[in-house]
Amino acid sequence: MLVYTLIRTLTQYFFVVLMAPLFAGIIANLKAKVESRKGPSIFQPYYDIFKYMKKQVLIPKGSGLIFKYAPFILFGIYSLIALIVPIVIPEPIFFTASADFLGGAILFSLAAFVKIAAAFDSRSNFTALGAVRALSFNFLSEATLITVFFAVSLITNTNNPYTTNSFLASHFIQNISLEHIFATIAFFMLFLYETGKIPLESSGLAELGMIDEGMSYEYSGKLLSLSKWSGYMKQYILGAIFLNVFFIPWGLQSSFPGFLLDIPVMFLKWLLLIAIVVIIETTLAKMRLFRIQDYLATSFTFSILFLIFSVVIA
Amino acid sequence: MSPIDYAVFLIAAFATISGFYIQGQEYISSMVKGQLVQSSIIALISFILAYYEHSIDLLILGILIAFLRGFLITYFLDKRVPGRMTYVYESNVNVASLLLIDLAFIVVGIFIIYSIVFTSADLVTKFGPSSILVFPLSLFFQGLFLIGSRRSTFSQIIGYIEEENSLVLFALFLVPVPIIIEASVFLDVLALVVISSILVIEKFRHYPMEELRG
Amino acid sequence: MDPIPLIIIILPGLANIFYRVNIKLAGAVSASLTVALSLFLYTQLPLTGLFYIDRITWVFLVMVSSVYLLSTLYSWEYVNSIRNRGISQNNYYLLLNFFTASMFFSLVMNNYGFMWVGIEATTISSALLLVTEKSDVSLEATWRYIILVSAGVTFAFISVILIYYHFGTLDVYTILHSGGTASVVIKIAVAVALVGFGTKVGVFPVHTWLPDAHSEAPSPVSAMFSGVLLPVALYVLYRIYEISPFPQLYTWFAVISIAAASLFLAYQRKYKRMFAYSTMENMNLALFGFALGGAGVIGALLLLVSHSFGKAGAFYSSGNILKSSEKRDIAQIKGIWKGMPYTSSSLLLSSLAVTGTPPFGTFVGEFIILYAAVVTHAFLQFGIVLFFLMAAFISVNYNITGMIFRGSSDLKEPGKTMPIISLISSIIPLIIGVVIIGGFFNVLV
Repeated sequence: MLVYTLIRTLTQYFFVVLMAPLFAGIIANLKAKVESRKGPSIFQPYYDIFKYMKKQVLIPKGSGLIFKYAPFILFGIYSLIALIVPIVIPEPIFFTASADFLGGAILFSLAAFVKIAAAFDSRSNFTALGAVRALSFNFLSEATLITVFFAVSLITNTNNPYTTNSFLASHFIQNISLEHIFATIAFFMLFLYETGKIPLESSGLAELGMIDEGMSYEYSGKLLSLSKWSGYMKQYILGAIFLNVFFIPWGLQSSFPGFLLDIPVMFLKWLLLIAIVVIIETTLAKMRLFRIQDYLATSFTFSILFLIFSVVIA
Repeated sequence: MSPIDYAVFLIAAFATISGFYIQGQEYISSMVKGQLVQSSIIALISFILAYYEHSIDLLILGILIAFLRGFLITYFLDKRVPGRMTYVYESNVNVASLLLIDLAFIVVGIFIIYSIVFTSADLVTKFGPSSILVFPLSLFFQGLFLIGSRRSTFSQIIGYIEEENSLVLFALFLVPVPIIIEASVFLDVLALVVISSILVIEKFRHYPMEELRG
Repeated sequence: MDPIPLIIIILPGLANIFYRVNIKLAGAVSASLTVALSLFLYTQLPLTGLFYIDRITWVFLVMVSSVYLLSTLYSWEYVNSIRNRGISQNNYYLLLNFFTASMFFSLVMNNYGFMWVGIEATTISSALLLVTEKSDVSLEATWRYIILVSAGVTFAFISVILIYYHFGTLDVYTILHSGGTASVVIKIAVAVALVGFGTKVGVFPVHTWLPDAHSEAPSPVSAMFSGVLLPVALYVLYRIYEISPFPQLYTWFAVISIAAASLFLAYQRKYKRMFAYSTMENMNLALFGFALGGAGVIGALLLLVSHSFGKAGAFYSSGNILKSSEKRDIAQIKGIWKGMPYTSSSLLLSSLAVTGTPPFGTFVGEFIILYAAVVTHAFLQFGIVLFFLMAAFISVNYNITGMIFRGSSDLKEPGKTMPIISLISSIIPLIIGVVIIGGFFNVLV
């Protein structure tokens, strides 16, 4: 039923694009409330995005083409990833067949590469600082990302996130198998790193802790708004993969028009994830920079070790 | 595999993870606590096995493990680690690279040795498939690597204790060795730890020496 | 349960009761008693039950008790005159007795698990003996000894577990008389035991503790290590090997270790380390003999007995030299023929003994082992072993004759009993060799 698939595609896509800043706003608000502040409104990211759209674009003198077009490319890549993985609808829709798990992981790497290239291309010292830091940690995080996906795919012997999701939802016992538990832990540690949460990166006005945010420091105007928007989308996509494939694979409907129920279900799952993230952010202190490698090495060890064990054991 | 088998797999996996934890530590007291966790995990597995086999011997074994290995050895080691001495902290420990080398070591250790050697032997283990033996084997090689990668005496003692722990686990999964022998082994290890702790007062850092070369 | 082996195990422990009173004399008395009892035990062979003693075990028992007696007597003067002591004199004898008791325990018990426990116990009791002469180097050597040997012998416990898994019992007599087995599990156990107990025997590449421990220990303790501890570990290894012989692996490891020992021997600068490598070579030659089986076992036994006394004599002589000259380097010792007649003769005799010169007992043992190698068509290994034995012969004797005859010095004998004991110990291999060769000729003629 092509029309149904079209409606599902549009639902998924617009949910991701339109709701991603909302979750970022909820995190910021909740964190502020826990810290006894009033905090920004939960729609603040939307106001920020529209504010930046209206402002003038300033480009540094020596920058090249990549710097100018990178935010558009990033937005496009994240849009494609939004259609590949089961983040709202548990059934394949248009464009889903473009890539599987491994392809998704490589698309993430591509996005990171484009961002870093743009940061270097801006010929500014500050973005170069952020880009260098990101590069020196990415080798472990990329490896973890790929192996984690392999680890969770070994359960169904396919690389398809949709079949993994449905398999895990229907077979409860597989959820406590060894490789699944530790792949979940590894992916959660990775999620904290990629989305720039404390204890790894402190956003806001403290430049000393910036890794991801430092890379978009030179953008202004609509380039900045697109860059921030793609950051929110990345956070949403990674969190949704974590929820739907690793942590809580149940609850997604695929019938028509039952799939509209998926929106509140995803919302509720995200609220759980936001609660966990806020607890972690407000209880831990930020790690020294050179310790981030130890942290990422730990998550890498988890994912690879249990990948190997599951091959040997099976 | 029954749910109990899954649970035992998980617990045995935690033993391996504690081995990694010890590997990545710089402070000696954390390492001692790590090996306490390891001994407790092994005692727990012994209790589970005792419940399954309805055997008093294994219950006694579990109690012996918890007491001799867990409690006494931790007590002896803790006594020798004073609060603020410099030798309880090892500098030049690069956690990330040590974890990765440890991982590579274990891949070689287990994957090759287990696949080639043990699969042809057709062993029957107490819990589930015979592949549960990879956990004690990996712990064994982690103990060896800990001895080889560190320069301080304490770390090497803890590496040796890790090795012995892995053997107890190995015996538990395969066929529990008679109590008398197991108890003698525990007393042996305890005596070794006591003697080493006498030695560690004098000599706590090891480096290549000219007179001992060749 | 027969009382005699039990008495043999307990006797050194009983001597420790006299810790405050006069442990030196008590040690010597108990040592003589153990020698007598071991010799008497021959009439009661074979023993099974709690203990497992057959002829091979008996040979080892006599060897252990004799070298124990010699070392105890030698220690009287040696330990008395050590200046910077790490452990007190009474503690030294206490540990020495426990060391011997644990070795007796490993030899006679009828249970593989207890044999393993005994070997670990020997490590524990002998560890602190190495710091008798306390210095930074000896502390480091002690630590290396403890950790390397323990980590290595732990491997062997895997083989004990596998043996128990397959046979359901750890009884040595039952297993050895159960009529052979072709199981893969046992093959794995035998291979792992080579690495495990081979650490204590001195198999390459896990031999690295050997030269450090031997060179830093006081001489009577080095003599005990070389002459007694390593053969006991070899005995335990042989008992495991007997379950399911694996000749290819064992013979090749033995041959490689002999080659490595000769190569290391060639460039040694300190005489005690040189003798330590010579021990490694002889032990692996005995392992080679055991692995070949048949006549090789007899050759290995002969080699081990003669080598124990010869190496003990060599270490006693080295102790004498160290006591009087305080130098450890070969190049710094010249021409001791003049002032130290006993020591130089015992040194010469013992170095000829350990390198396998006719008519010493070691030569007879080596000859029989190489004959067994030819008979079982192990020609390549025969050639390699022969070449490296000759190389070691040349290196050791070149150094020793240089020490004794080159130039002259005015070193004097350090005390009265030490040189005599070393001379007695060096002559015994000669006597053994002459007796056996004479016996051959009697039979032939």
